[in-house]
Parts: sequence; structure tokens; C-alpha cells
Amino acid sequence: MKFDIIKNEKLKEEIHFTKLENGLEVFWLPKKDYMRKYAVFTTKYGSNDNKFVPIGEKNMIEVPEGVAHFLEHKLFEEPDENIFDKFSELGSYVNAYTNFTQTAYLFECTDKFYDNLELLVKFVQNPYFTDENVEKEKGIIEQEIRMYDDSAGWKVFFNCLRGMYYDHPVKIDIAGTVDTIKEIDKDILYKCYNTFYHPKNMVLFMVGDVDFDKAVEVIDKSQKSDIQEYEGEIKRNYVNEKKSINKKIIEENLSVSMPLFNLGFKDTDVGFDGKKLLAKEIATNIILEMIFGESSEFYQEMYNEGFINNSFGGQYIGSKDYGHSIVGGEASKPKEVKDKIISYIEGLKEKGLDNADFERIKKKFIGNHLSEFDSMDYIANKFTSYYFNNILLTDYFESIENIKFNDVEKRFKEHFNEVNCTLSIVNPKV
Amino acid sequence: MELNITEEILNDGVNLSFTNMDKFKTNLMSVYIVRPLNREEITKNVLLPLILKRGTQNYKTSLEIERKFEELYGSGLGVNATKKGNRQIIRFTIEGPQERFIGSGNLLEEQLKMLNEIINNPLTEEGVFSNKYVELEKRNLKTRIEGRINNKKQYAVDRCIEEMCKDEVYSLYQYGYITDLEKITSAQMYEHYKTIIKTSPIYISMIGNFEEHDVKKMVEKTFKFERGTLIDIPKDEMAMGTQRENKVFEEMEINQGKLTLGFRTNISYKDSLYESFLLASNILGGGANSKLFVNVREKESLAYYVYTKSYKYKSIMLIAAGIEFENYDKSLKIINEQVEELKAGNFSDKDIQYAKKSIVTSLQSMTDSSFSISEYYFGRKLTQSDRSIEDIIEKINSVNKDDIVKAASKLELDTIYFLKNKGNTEEEIK
Repeated sequence: MKFDIIKNEKLKEEIHFTKLENGLEVFWLPKKDYMRKYAVFTTKYGSNDNKFVPIGEKNMIEVPEGVAHFLEHKLFEEPDENIFDKFSELGSYVNAYTNFTQTAYLFECTDKFYDNLELLVKFVQNPYFTDENVEKEKGIIEQEIRMYDDSAGWKVFFNCLRGMYYDHPVKIDIAGTVDTIKEIDKDILYKCYNTFYHPKNMVLFMVGDVDFDKAVEVIDKSQKSDIQEYEGEIKRNYVNEKKSINKKIIEENLSVSMPLFNLGFKDTDVGFDGKKLLAKEIATNIILEMIFGESSEFYQEMYNEGFINNSFGGQYIGSKDYGHSIVGGEASKPKEVKDKIISYIEGLKEKGLDNADFERIKKKFIGNHLSEFDSMDYIANKFTSYYFNNILLTDYFESIENIKFNDVEKRFKEHFNEVNCTLSIVNPKV
Repeated sequence: MELNITEEILNDGVNLSFTNMDKFKTNLMSVYIVRPLNREEITKNVLLPLILKRGTQNYKTSLEIERKFEELYGSGLGVNATKKGNRQIIRFTIEGPQERFIGSGNLLEEQLKMLNEIINNPLTEEGVFSNKYVELEKRNLKTRIEGRINNKKQYAVDRCIEEMCKDEVYSLYQYGYITDLEKITSAQMYEHYKTIIKTSPIYISMIGNFEEHDVKKMVEKTFKFERGTLIDIPKDEMAMGTQRENKVFEEMEINQGKLTLGFRTNISYKDSLYESFLLASNILGGGANSKLFVNVREKESLAYYVYTKSYKYKSIMLIAAGIEFENYDKSLKIINEQVEELKAGNFSDKDIQYAKKSIVTSLQSMTDSSFSISEYYFGRKLTQSDRSIEDIIEKINSVNKDDIVKAASKLELDTIYFLKNKGNTEEEIK
């Protein structure tokens, strides 16, 4: 086994890593003097992976919406023991989450780290699905879906995705719908599990004051031996998504006090990952902060005139095959806010961005990046999601410093266009 | 692990504390201002920090303030006003990177100066707050108060407390009241501000990496509070008389019913049974192996979330769950059964061990977060306790089953609150 270290002098942090024989990559970021220890075991498999060629088969299949998330719930089921009890016995906290591109299982503890680690690896590598336990879960997940149905912020966001995308599965609800989860059975779960939970498709990241050699030994020993092998890459369906947007506007009514809006700008410059993707992500987020942040004249004017409140802001999310900037918040007149945003952008394209704004926001991003390294959860989860996009979190600092004003100017002109934006609104029910 | 918190009382009666640790990348400074909780003040206390962050003598607009914070590498200002028992706490925080990571010489001093600037050097026009800013922030606060229906889960919890404590000041809504807001003038606000600075107990907490002696001098030099005679803050008190079978049904157009049960614990945080109560609450609804999680969610698939939450300063405990409307009766029955089981001592030694470990782990983890350390320090001042984290852990570990049963048997159900959808008649859900 080869051990290696990535160091970052500016962050004063280092990440150790190694790769097990079965392909599992293991990382560790030491945090001396911390009581907590944290580990997250993640598969590169999320709600976007709903069409793929199952391991050992030849043809592409399509599975019901919500399978990755369903699987996350069901992995906690074991034939002869209760996983939650096991972690409770160790005094630790266990949880899991599913997003568009990954499913993660994590624990945090202050004691018995290696026992916790062994338990984490074993329960994730030991699926146990029966007709009965799959059926039982449907009621629970149905309540989870209904909980999100009452969340206006969630609704306005997914409606915005549905407005931007034609075919890309990012428009699908992560947990599926009450109807689609009914189609899920244990065979589908096993098929997805066997394909995506192979160690080659997974990463384990640890943070805290632990002994890396010992941890790797525990992980290695706990690996399931009879894992079904495959050659090469998992065949996922890469959608050839159109560059244009699907719908200009989507509206829905919910019990809210004030309209909520998301204005989504679909990214047309996609198809790459790694450092290039990282640079694009940072540049786009810098622009959003420069033009819509609290230190922008636009924000202050819109706030003072009562068009927006302090919920207003924007963020860019990008992966290899899709990306979008979403600007949103509460507003009594979202359509007018959209018009103002668009004419402001058009005006800025004439006038140009301000270099002084750029330099200030860069400083802010550097400071925020440093601050985030006080959070174990952030480090572990951000590292993993970047890693799946061939990005090292430790490159972030350098990447911000390398971004030039004209990169930002160029990106601004390319990305922020009315033709590729969707307005999603949740209106109050009358 | 033991925290080394140094405390001082400054000349103007302001309490100052330092925690010097080298494990964080950020400095966190908090200023806590303690007020009595009452209808006369609550809305003004929420409004005050919102006005203060709009402009100061040296930074006349939000734009200038925000840009200054960006120059300080994204140091961030946080303000809020929360209820703690019979008190309302106004908190100002500033958090930003430590200079040793930035290579900038006086970041800490600049951060402190900005915090003082916001609190002690507000923008005034003709001797009072800027009328424009007061009116703008009144409007924004109004939106926020109206927006309380937007987060249904939180709304159901707040409403339960409101109904439960309707004859006590604790029923006051944490963001205040629109009718009171409309009457507030700039002159009144400014007078209220002066009174607050003069008469309130004030606590400053600083967590970061610094020389204590230098920082004390820096704080004394920087902070200029205009102090007068301090007021007495009312002590926490328990219930004024529990209600029986107080059932409140409220209708809203929603997708999932939100059930909240409010209990009187009849145990104050000063009571020797307090830690026993914490364990009882944890066994009942603390985590994934708790009685409620196992019986309401895992066995019956009635809910995705169900948990207990205790309110230390008010001696109440809530149970909250998201359920189907028609499962109201069934869910309530199971929840009540589990509470009775707890009171009857029908839980195992294992359950006790798990609960103890879970609480101990979270106590130990507090030292890994500067926010938790700050809140821990302030909590100790409020409760006039000098117990260390180790002392509390020892107390938790010494609790036996009899104590837990004794604590649980003091639980009294006060109010059942159910947020349901429009149109269902009471007969249908009963």
C-alpha cells in the first residue's frame, strides 16, 4: 500500500491518503486538540444516476426516481442487529444523506474511533433488503417527502431546476415522489447497490486526532471479501442536455406570507471537471457576490426600495455535466425583481465590472475558505464532493489567488444571459 | 479537554472572558446584552441590532460597513435577540480569520473596532437614529414576523409554546409584534438604545489565539459603553399552573400534519434531578434508538421525524412529529404510551447507558466549536453556575434509574397542538 501526503502551507493543513487493494481510497486530515473525530464513507452515486448499466449486465436500465435515497435509508437495516443501537453503544452519532451526485454515511464520536470506523464500513458493505423491510420504509419516506412538500424553499428550487432542464436528471426530486417510491422493490435496490457501492466507486474520509495507519488497517480488515468485480468504469447515462432552457417561468401556490423566487441561469459552458471546473465555480461565485452581495450598490438600492430583503443572494453549483447559478429570496414582486436584475446585468455588460469589488470579494473568499477549516463536517464532505469532480479541496486557495479580473469579466458576459434563465415563483395561497 | 476560560470585570461593570486556544483558524467575539423578557421591550430589542447594523458614525451606510467587513477577509457580523426563560438576550458576534493565516498585522484589533463601532457608535441624525433606517428596518422586521408561517415545523413548535404558556411572558413571539412595531419612532428607539447600554448586564466573550494581557488592554481601549445603574433581571420561574387537556387545532393549507405536545418538566436547571430529566428526555426522544423513534417511526412508519426537545430556562419539554392528518389519533396514542412507559421505568440499563454516552459526547464536542464555547460560558453566567464540563459529565454519569423515573414522573402534559390541513373536520381526524 502506498501512503502519500498533500500539504497546504497556507492552510497549515495536510491530507494523508492511500488506496486499498480493492480500489477504495482512504483520506485523513489530522486535527490535533479536537475532541471530536469524524468519518464519512461516500459513494459516487446520487439521484442523478437513474439510468445505468447494472454490473454484470449489458443494457442500460432506468430505475424509479428516489432509489439512491431509498437505498440510503435501507442500508441501516441489518439481519440481526440494530445499527443505531450499535452506534449508541459507542456513544457516537450516525447519519447519512443523499444528494444529486453522492450518498454519504457518516459518524462523529469522541471515543472508540476504530470501533465506530469498523461498524461504519461493515454496515455500508452489508446490504440486507427484504420485501417486508422495503415496504415498511415506504411510509417513512412518504412522510419525508411530504415534509419537503411543505417547504417553500425546497419547492421553489426544484421548480427552478425543472424550468431550466429538459432531460437532465438533476430536475428529479432527490427522494422521488410518493408514487415513484411505490415502484421500488428489493431487486432494484440490490441492482443499484451492487453497481454503485463497489469500493472502486467509493471514498472514505476521516478528520480528527487519530492514528492513520491503525485506521487504514481497521478499514482494510473490515472490507467485505465477496464483492462482485467489474472491469473499467460504471456505465452511466450521460444526457445530452440542450443548451437552452425548458421553461421561462414556473409558478406554484403554497401557504407562505410572501412570494419566494429563484432565478436560475443555466450554464452552457459544461463538459469538464478538475481544476478548470474549480476555477469556473469560484469565478462564478465571485461574480454573484460582486453583483448581488450585500456590498453591491444593486443590493442596497433594491433593499432600500423594498424590492428585496436580507434573504436575497446567489450561488453557483456546478458538476461535470451540468451547472447553474441561482439568485433568489423573498420578494413581494418577483417579476419586477427579475426585470430589474436583467436590465442591471445588461447595463453592467456595457459599463463593465469593478476591479475594486473583485479584489475585495477575493479577500472575503479567502477568509471564508480559511474559516471553513474549523469545521470537520465541512472539510470531509466538501473534500469528497470535490474529489468526485477530480478536484482537490487543497487546491482551492491557490485557485482563488490565480483568478484574474478578466477571467471574471469574460465569465460574466458568457454566463449571465436572459435567454438561459428561468424564473420560479412560489406565491402565497389566497 | 478542560476549557481554560479567564474572566475579568472591567471598570464599567462589563464582564469579559477569554478562551485562548490555538486549534481554530478564526477569532470569535460575542457581546451578550441581557434584558427582561416582556411585551413592552421585545419588539424593540429585536429591532435594535437591525438598526445598529445599518450605519455608524464612521461607516454611514450598510454598503460601507459591508465593504469594510470584506476588507477584513470576510469577517462576519451576526446579530440576534432570543428568549431564554424570563430574559431576552441580544447578541452581537463577529467572526473572522486569525491574522496568522492571513499575514495581516492587526486583524483582531480591526474586528474588535468594528464590533464596537456597530454597538457603541451608531449613526444619528438630529440626536436620534436615522429615521430612514428605522422605517426600513421596521418594514423588514414586519415581513419577518409575517413570515413565521413559512417554516411549518418551526411554526407548530412556536405555536404550541405560545398556547401552552399563554399566561406567562415566555409565550411572547421571539420576533415581536407588528402592532407594537408600527408605533415605534426613531426617538423612542434611540432612547431605548441608551437605556439598554446603560442598564443591562453585558458579557463579552473572546475565543481565539492571542495574548490575554494584550487583548484585555485592546478591549478596554476599544469598547466604550456608556454605563449607568444596572437593572435587576427577573429570575427564571417555572409554570404558573399546568393546563389539562388543552387541545389546540389550527388549520393551514399544508401537506403534512405537524403534531406538537408541550410538557411541563417541573424540574428547574438548579434542581438535583435536572441531569436525570435530560437523560429521561434523551431515552424518550433523543435519537435514532429512542423510544419515540423506534415506536412511532421504525415500527409503525407513522413519521419521518419525531423527537423531544427541552427548554432549559423554562422547564418545558416538547415532542414534535410530522404525520398524516388521519394518523393523529394513532400517533398521539403511541406517543402517550411511550411517555407512560418511561414514567413506569420500562427501559433498560442499556437505554440509560446509551443516553449517558450521547449526552457526554455532545458535552465533550462543545470544546471543538468556538460558538459552543461562547454559549457555554454565557450559559454559566446566566445560571450563576461554576461547574466545569467535567463536573457536568460526572453528574450525568452518576444518575441511576430511580432518578430517571423520578424525573420522568414529574412530566405533565400541558398542551396538544396540531397543525392540520384545511377542510378536515375534527371528526375525521378523531
